[in-house]
Amino acid sequence: MFEKLEAYLEEISHFLSGREEREEILSEIRSHILEKAQQEFGETTEATLAKVIAAYGPARRVAEKYLDGSPIIAPAFKRFLFRYTALLFAFHFVFTVAAVVFKKSFLMFPIVYIPSMGPFEALCYLPMAFLFDLGVVTLILYLITQSKKEVKLPWPRFSVDLDEVKTSGRTIGRIIGLAAMTALTGAALYLYIRYQTIFLIKLHSAEFRPIFTPEAGQWFSLILIGLWALSAISLAIKLVTASPWVDAVKEGLSLVLLGLIFRQPLDTALAVQLPAGLVRLIKINLTITVFIICIFVAVDLIKALVRIGRRQLAK
Amino acid sequence: MDPEVSHFETEMNRGFLQILVLAMLEKDMYGYAMVRTIRELGYEVEENTLYPLLRRLEKNGWVKSKWDVSEDRPRKFYGITDAGRGLRTELLGIWKKQDEILKRIMKETSRV
Repeated sequence: MFEKLEAYLEEISHFLSGREEREEILSEIRSHILEKAQQEFGETTEATLAKVIAAYGPARRVAEKYLDGSPIIAPAFKRFLFRYTALLFAFHFVFTVAAVVFKKSFLMFPIVYIPSMGPFEALCYLPMAFLFDLGVVTLILYLITQSKKEVKLPWPRFSVDLDEVKTSGRTIGRIIGLAAMTALTGAALYLYIRYQTIFLIKLHSAEFRPIFTPEAGQWFSLILIGLWALSAISLAIKLVTASPWVDAVKEGLSLVLLGLIFRQPLDTALAVQLPAGLVRLIKINLTITVFIICIFVAVDLIKALVRIGRRQLAK
Repeated sequence: MDPEVSHFETEMNRGFLQILVLAMLEKDMYGYAMVRTIRELGYEVEENTLYPLLRRLEKNGWVKSKWDVSEDRPRKFYGITDAGRGLRTELLGIWKKQDEILKRIMKETSRV
């Protein structure tokens, strides 16, 4: 009994578990290694066996050569793994934000169930949701692959700029954008520090007056400053890296901030008394506007996630 | 060797090794003896590639095997079957055709 040889065979055996011809394979490898050590080194010792084993190759690589090469997911479907997971997760993300903001549960049987939760719970929930989405998509693609049927998977045609070539024009645009967003964020911060709100109006009197109540004014101001600051930071980072993660994180955080707008009831947010009909009209308009912005941000988020998926696939 | 060339060589070896093994097994041989014979012919084969190939060929009925335990060390001997001979004839036919095509192209290229 040679310890090194038995340990090596044990390792190969581990990778071959479940195969009925495992013992036969191991016997043949054992026979070969012992024979080679004797023939080429004139003796079978732990030292000579170690040399033969090293030449035979790592246990995992040896075992893999006996395993069938049939893929779990067909190569043609691999890109759909990232695409569908990104799409499903984007829906999950948007509805999670909505669940936090509106404090409601969402059920889209059988794929999505999102319970009402707080922001911290949402942060814990989202990674689980991503793994769930990845698992669901993997399972479906696995079943399609195993069925060996010719299936054409659907995917909407929208252009995603994968080749983020750094052109000088784009860089100049980003620098201008960065300067504008930094100036805007700075001005907003100045106003906020001075008045605790950035929503001010100058009517007949010489003084600026806040549009919203102090609490609502602070809430909306901080959200807007946060959105502008996010834009400025992402533009600055994009000057040095073309990683699609920058857009993904920015759009994700923007969605969270946009969602937080609705946590402040607008009916009581205005500092001035307005007719109930007018308040309702403002509320509807604001809701539609924010919702449309959310859709655009969500689309950008999906695009960024698809780009990340494609990059992983390209690698 | 250039890694790129090495990669292509591995690809080419896959087909060649199958014909080589089927050609060698007209006489029963065990794995280590095959590796040594191939090396003596001026060709290298990875041991951990040969055995899985023999197993696949056996699974498909192109080679057969039996353990010889008459000596101190048991050895597994392989031999070709009739189906294996049929396959070998077909593979050699394909190989010759490919060789002729390549030769013709190279001849025409050298004229240009």
